Amino acid sequence: MTESKSGVGPVIEMASTSLLHPKRSYAPVSTEDPGNSSKGAVTVGLPPDWVDVSEEISVNIQRARTKMAELGKAHAKALMPSFGDGKEDQHQIESLTQEITFLLRKSEKQLQRLSAGGPSEDSSVRKNVQRSLATDLQHLSMELRKKQSTYLKRLRLQKEDGGDLEMNLKGSSYRAEDDDFDDILFSEHQMSKIKKSEAISVEREKEIQQVVESVNELAQIMKDLSALVIDQGTIVDRIDYNIQNVASTVEDGLKQLQKAERTQRSGGMVKCASVLVILCFIMLVLLILKEIFL
Amino acid sequence: MVLVTSVRDYINRMLHDISGMKVLILDSQTVSNVSIVYSQSELLQKEVFLVEMIDSISVSKESMSHLKAVYFIRPTSENIQKLRYQLANPRFGEHHLFFSNLLKDTQIHILADSDEHEAVQQVQEFYADFVAGDPYHFTLNMASNHLYMLPAVVDPSGLQRYSDRVVDGIAAVFLALKRRPVIRYQRTSDTAKRIAQETAKLMYQHESGLFDFRRTESSPLLLVIDRRDDPVTPLLNQWTYQAMVHELIGLQDNKVDLRAIGSLSKDQQVEVVLSSEQDAFFKANMYENFGDIGMNIKRMVDDFQQVAKSNQNIQTVEDMARFVDNYPEYKKMQGNVSKHVTLVTEMSKLVEARKLMLVSQTEQDLACNGGQGAAYEAVTDLLNNESVSDMDRLRLVMLYALRYEKENPVQLMQLFNKLASRSPKYKPGLVQFLLKQAGVEKRSGDLFGNRDLMNIARNMARGLKGVENVYTQHQPLLFQTMESITRGRLRDVDYPFVGDHFQQGRPQEVVIFMVGGTTYEESRSVALQNATNSGIRFILGGTAVLNSKRFLMDLEEAQRIARSGSHMV
Repeated sequence: MTESKSGVGPVIEMASTSLLHPKRSYAPVSTEDPGNSSKGAVTVGLPPDWVDVSEEISVNIQRARTKMAELGKAHAKALMPSFGDGKEDQHQIESLTQEITFLLRKSEKQLQRLSAGGPSEDSSVRKNVQRSLATDLQHLSMELRKKQSTYLKRLRLQKEDGGDLEMNLKGSSYRAEDDDFDDILFSEHQMSKIKKSEAISVEREKEIQQVVESVNELAQIMKDLSALVIDQGTIVDRIDYNIQNVASTVEDGLKQLQKAERTQRSGGMVKCASVLVILCFIMLVLLILKEIFL
Repeated sequence: MVLVTSVRDYINRMLHDISGMKVLILDSQTVSNVSIVYSQSELLQKEVFLVEMIDSISVSKESMSHLKAVYFIRPTSENIQKLRYQLANPRFGEHHLFFSNLLKDTQIHILADSDEHEAVQQVQEFYADFVAGDPYHFTLNMASNHLYMLPAVVDPSGLQRYSDRVVDGIAAVFLALKRRPVIRYQRTSDTAKRIAQETAKLMYQHESGLFDFRRTESSPLLLVIDRRDDPVTPLLNQWTYQAMVHELIGLQDNKVDLRAIGSLSKDQQVEVVLSSEQDAFFKANMYENFGDIGMNIKRMVDDFQQVAKSNQNIQTVEDMARFVDNYPEYKKMQGNVSKHVTLVTEMSKLVEARKLMLVSQTEQDLACNGGQGAAYEAVTDLLNNESVSDMDRLRLVMLYALRYEKENPVQLMQLFNKLASRSPKYKPGLVQFLLKQAGVEKRSGDLFGNRDLMNIARNMARGLKGVENVYTQHQPLLFQTMESITRGRLRDVDYPFVGDHFQQGRPQEVVIFMVGGTTYEESRSVALQNATNSGIRFILGGTAVLNSKRFLMDLEEAQRIARSGSHMV
């Protein structure tokens, strides 16, 4: 049985998101002679190691998806008018966003591990699994971006509305004041106004900072993924083109191997070695002759 | 549209019920059938992580028992043999066999016998045995297409194989459509008659149970015709986008290989895809003529430059965010624009180099307008012109010969001699061979509109009115055939029914199969006809999709075999 390498989540989670059939039994490949009679159903052999990595990634993707659903709900809740200052909502949103981004980054790093060299069939399967997971990751990243941007947009609208309301109130009360008391009251109102706008701008800055950070991170992820994801509708998305490419790389590889074999065989090294051996032999004979005749 | 949908449906059904990692195994024919309707990314979504050809699958000894094998192959004897070998030494966990056409009982027995390890989970027939390139156009991509030109005695087994393949393809189309047609064929063509009769035998006798679909008011019509009734269309140079690309560069399974033209810069795409399903610009422009395409491409490039400029002008954080969001769309647009610009540029270069504007004007005159004397002068001039290529000279003489076969034999002979002297690679007698195959005696249709009084009158009226575009005057003969069917006036004398078939009134669905191949000009004609909503839906199919190069190749091959055959006698 394969060992579960991801000690983070329970095994139950893995079974529901596995790339492989959950009901399949991983019977070990037997090393003894099966004998004459056929055993009935073919025992499925052990899948290669990299399948574990791909399963881990798909588990993480699934987790990120559920967290995104939660994030959507948290966004909606934070946008609704509430009596409190909404700090805990903000905190929850922040932590969720961070978790999701962390999961995406982790998956993306693990995805790089799936790359393999050599033109074997197994490496084609690996490459295709990698592409499929990369596409899923890219979709998730874009979804996250969209959710964030709509949330921020709505948040800004709300704040502006609230700000306008405040401005209007201040404006009307301001006009009601007498000119005599203008100087004193002016400075007081001005001070409070300045303090308020300071607070708003600090908050704005923080938000912008967050947006910039997440944009950067996601841009990085997208850049790395875009090398793996297939551009739909182009020649790379054609099945026959991919088969041809595999065939030609395998052929090239074969040619290279043959060439290497030939050069090795007809190599100067072999000739040198054989010449030296013959010389040694001759010297030995000469030595023996010298001993005999002296 | 319905054919593309049927093939996609079949593939979906194959992959849907099998869970887990899969490997899809195809043969050299089904790989085209699948690649043209299904993309690699869609396969990945269905967890198909490896696609292999049945030839190469037995070479490697790697055991991949964590993969389930889905075979989609034609039920040929070679494929069955390869399957036997693989079932004897199974490499995969499960084996699901899907065949693109009817399996014979003997083949099923062979497979059952060789399945010692009981590795096969299911065997099914999914009739996607044709290449559905466009909504109303399919092809069978047959290699030895020239066989239809030869009499049966020359190569009886070859012709039998040819005919079998065609019958299988037509049967698959109707099984995919779930209809059984009434069959008519072109009287003057032996090959068409043979294919029509064998198809009827298959559908109404051998496998009548399988084809016994729900009857509707009117049965669909299958019309089997011969390429040689209209040899003019494949010889003409084309000026509408899809047809032009195929004529000048070559379109295979909706892919264009730009290596054929050479002289590409390093980072340019070597192969591109031109599919009306996936490319909105192509879908809108595939039947437009060259001038209009140029304008539309210019507009597309301008739009793209606007977007590119706004992308460079990133000032605020919102702009940055928007750029990151729209980047995939932008990249796709860029790829598309560059593809079309490259194609049109290369084609313009070819038009310029081969003086095709000049040549094509004469070609269209030969095909559409009268005047033997003027035609002779024009052709002679072009034969003398150094810039005209050998192939173009050959085409001109062929078109002249087809038109003025019986008028002024002296001048015709002079043209033959001039052609032979000017073109060193010209195989002597090829034009005469064409006339023997498709000359005025062999044709039943009114190719040049000069037999029927109605047609003569129509031509004169058209000449007086003047044409919109000199280069796209020509209407393929198929257009007239479709009109006759629409009016219910397809003559029994020319296109008899098979056996005791009969059709009352007009059919609502017509499949026209052209033995010898179709052209994209004809597929365009069909698409435009369908767009007029006349109440009849036409589908066109053929043994291959021809351009002038392919048609000439088939002629040469047939001529070579005919010659060697006559030597043997």
